[in-house]
Amino acid sequence: MKRSYLGEFEEIVLLTVAVMEGGAYGVAITHEISEQTGRAVRLNQVHAALERLEDKGMLKSEMGEPTAERGGRRKRLFTVTAYGRRTLQEIQEVRVSFWARLLNPFKPATSL
Amino acid sequence: MKPPQLADRLLKFCCAPHRLEEVQGDLHEEIQYQLRRVGKPRARRQYWWNVLGFILSFALKRKSIEYSTTHLTNPIMIQNYFKIAWRNLWRKKVFSAINIAGLAVGLATCLLIVLFVQDELSYDRYNTKADRLFRMTMHIRLGGKEMNMAYAPALAGAAMLRDYPGVEAFTRLESEGTFVIKSGNERFKEERVVFADSNFFAVFSIPLLKGNVKTALTEPNTVVLTESTARKYFGDQNPVGKSLTMGTKGLFRVTGVCRDVPSNSHFHYDFFGSYRSIRQGEKWLASGSHTYLLLREGYSVAQLAAQSPNIVRKYMGPEVPEFLGMTYDEYLRKGDRMGFRFQPVTDIHLGPNWENELEANSDPKYVYIFSAIAVFILLLACINFMNLSTAGSANRAKEVGIRKVLGSVQQQLIRQFLSESVLITFLALVVAGVLVAVALPTFNQLANKAFDLGTLLNVRLMGYTLMGSLLVGLLAGSYPAFFLSSFKPVSVLKGKLLSGVRSGWLRNTLVTVQFVVSIGMIIGTLVVYQQLRFIQNKKVGFDKEQVLILHDTYVLGDKLKTFRSELAKQSQIVSASLAGYLPAGRSNQGVDGFRDVNAPTETVPFRLKTYRIDEQYLPTLGIGVALGRNFSKAFSGDSAAVLVNEAAVRQFGWKNPVGQRITTVGDGSPGDRQTYTVVGVTKDFHFESMHQHIAPLIMFYGGDWYQMALRIRTDNVPALLKMLEQNWKAETDMPFSYSFLDERFNKMYQAEQRIGQLFGIFAGLAVFIACLGLFGLAAFTTLQRTKEIGVRKVLGASVASIVALLSKDFLRLVFVAILIATPMGWYAMKEWLADFAYRIDLEWWVFGLAGFLAVAVALLTVSFQSIKAALVNPVRSLRSE
Repeated sequence: MKRSYLGEFEEIVLLTVAVMEGGAYGVAITHEISEQTGRAVRLNQVHAALERLEDKGMLKSEMGEPTAERGGRRKRLFTVTAYGRRTLQEIQEVRVSFWARLLNPFKPATSL
Repeated sequence: MKPPQLADRLLKFCCAPHRLEEVQGDLHEEIQYQLRRVGKPRARRQYWWNVLGFILSFALKRKSIEYSTTHLTNPIMIQNYFKIAWRNLWRKKVFSAINIAGLAVGLATCLLIVLFVQDELSYDRYNTKADRLFRMTMHIRLGGKEMNMAYAPALAGAAMLRDYPGVEAFTRLESEGTFVIKSGNERFKEERVVFADSNFFAVFSIPLLKGNVKTALTEPNTVVLTESTARKYFGDQNPVGKSLTMGTKGLFRVTGVCRDVPSNSHFHYDFFGSYRSIRQGEKWLASGSHTYLLLREGYSVAQLAAQSPNIVRKYMGPEVPEFLGMTYDEYLRKGDRMGFRFQPVTDIHLGPNWENELEANSDPKYVYIFSAIAVFILLLACINFMNLSTAGSANRAKEVGIRKVLGSVQQQLIRQFLSESVLITFLALVVAGVLVAVALPTFNQLANKAFDLGTLLNVRLMGYTLMGSLLVGLLAGSYPAFFLSSFKPVSVLKGKLLSGVRSGWLRNTLVTVQFVVSIGMIIGTLVVYQQLRFIQNKKVGFDKEQVLILHDTYVLGDKLKTFRSELAKQSQIVSASLAGYLPAGRSNQGVDGFRDVNAPTETVPFRLKTYRIDEQYLPTLGIGVALGRNFSKAFSGDSAAVLVNEAAVRQFGWKNPVGQRITTVGDGSPGDRQTYTVVGVTKDFHFESMHQHIAPLIMFYGGDWYQMALRIRTDNVPALLKMLEQNWKAETDMPFSYSFLDERFNKMYQAEQRIGQLFGIFAGLAVFIACLGLFGLAAFTTLQRTKEIGVRKVLGASVASIVALLSKDFLRLVFVAILIATPMGWYAMKEWLADFAYRIDLEWWVFGLAGFLAVAVALLTVSFQSIKAALVNPVRSLRSE
């Protein structure tokens, strides 16, 4: 089956959008990612990834309500499309099958 | 807290508009969040950082197709512009043809002139050391008379090299006239022979193909040939080591072959003999060679020029008493002077013509004139284009209206019209290229150049041409583009085209400019032709018809006298004279200093031209004797007698010239000073060109064997020539050559004749282009006034009155043009004529004729259209609304 492959960062962004269930927009996603992964994420990187994902058809977006702290500007709210969801599942399945075939799973290093 | 404004503005500028809202919103939300977390300064810094991040990443990717934006460089649009332009051209074939033809002729003329001007400016630049190569020239003021010599004393170069460390090298050229050169059994008469110093090929960048640059010309009686001369004498054989007999100088060994001298050089020689083969001058004041100095880098020529008085005092001062009979200081006190100048080699060709130039230089005036003509003609063609486009705007107005309604902005329309004009220009350029290729041989002949298509096709010129054409296209298209694109869609679609008609004043100005230029050029042509006619028909003081000149008669040696008496017996030959000195064409030249015997000794001698003639000379050339008598064999003392012309009598201030005695200054040796008695005075005759006033002339007795002049009386010249050739062949195996005096005379004014012809052609082209424009313009106006004409006819107007109505407007412009062009033409031609010592007066009828021609041509052009319009049945023009 042919499908677009996702970069590692794109995958994380897509997952985050899925997790946030309707409340996903630029700043919120950025904060969520940096909190969960602990890495310094830049706003423009997230925007770029969101745009790419939307182009690939894994996300869709609509304009939300304006808020005061945004200077009266609306936010763009993202949701994952069916195609996006399927892609995430496939990635997950591939990972799981590989983990299952690992003969000597990594154990926490209890003894040296 | 407000986010940094500058960053905001930057973002707004860079970000794609459809993404701006969310991005800015996110950024603002973020800064509020960070403000709470990390404080104001860091929050602001982070804001900046984020904005820059956006600008560098996706913000640049603008989405373009969502709605029409002003994307002016979109290839699809440009493609579309050209497509529409092409369709427009095709739909109006006549006007397109007029446009393209006018521009093509203009561009072709321009190209040819650029070729000419570029060539003139490139003289001697082939020398890699041209920037430090100077010619040393001598300038003397003697007895109030200025003398500018293109050469310097033969000893000067060596002295400069010795005395001034800034001089790196010097080299000399000295010409000794024509040589008959023998190789085996072949003999040719060669005029392009010169003697050069051994380092000549190191100083001038003429590469030596065979032989050693250092040693080729070090020994006496060695010669270097140019490539083509070597081929002429030796074919494919290696000429080095072979020998040639050069006239009376004996056998010369060929020591090298050099590349042909480039055409853009101020000298063109085929034979470079070694300088040591000729007599070396030993006096500064009695020798001369063309001397070139190569300066060291960084040494300025001004330093050298400042030394001129010192050089003169050191080297020439001691020689002054010997030649002039006074000390150098006395000489200076009289207000006379001597000096040297150092002229960059690249300035020689367009510089002044001094005495003894190696070749006649050309006149920078003509470079300016032709450049101006090129600009004018191109201007005319551009004006045509502008006029036709704006006049045709009525037809394009609807198109502009529709385009604007559909959302075109002015910028786009301007671009559309500009691409249209660029397209037309390039089409014209293609046609111009063909025209140039066709006209090149004729142009070469007229301009005395040797261009071929290769000169045209060089990359630099092509680049300039393309750039120039683009510029012309943009320039010519700019006015119509701005004019047409500024139409208001509401009014043009309602059918109000008045704005198109109202721009008439500009069109009128442009048409007037066109006719000013055309009339100016017609005036120029008329005056140049008139002056040429004047020169050719002016009484020159000798009878130039029916005089045959035999060349190089000196080769007959002692047999010449019998040869002449044989000829004199022929019935077709009235008289025969030994005539090395002639008033037209190749001639010997003599100059000597003369002093009136009765004048006080300290008077400065006059430096006068001299002739050597025999007793047959005056009758053969038809020169009249004003006083006294001609030379005669009957008087034994005539070797000490001279004839002078009337100008000389005036110079010496004699009341009774016959019997006066004059003495020569000579070259300084005591035996060289001789006294002569004036036995007769000839009438003045033009022994130099009409550019100069008739100078004083002293004629010694004793014919010069160099050439022979025959006064003939026959209708059958070919038979006579055949007879002469047979006689000649019986005496010698040297080549037989001859010329006619009137042809030689006409040749002196070849440059002027060429200018006249070129002027005529350019004037014709200017008029042609102007008329093309006028034709197109007339066609448009008549088209616009079709209905008006119909109504007038219905109301009873005659054809004549309608033609007059339509022509009146144009004729008024032509009359204004005449008023402007006449004073300008008068001034310009007065300047040109000032160059001639004998010239015509500018007469009013020249201007009248030029004006009349312009009016006639304009009328012819316009009336074709207006008569056609006036003859149309009004039913046809009024039938539809």
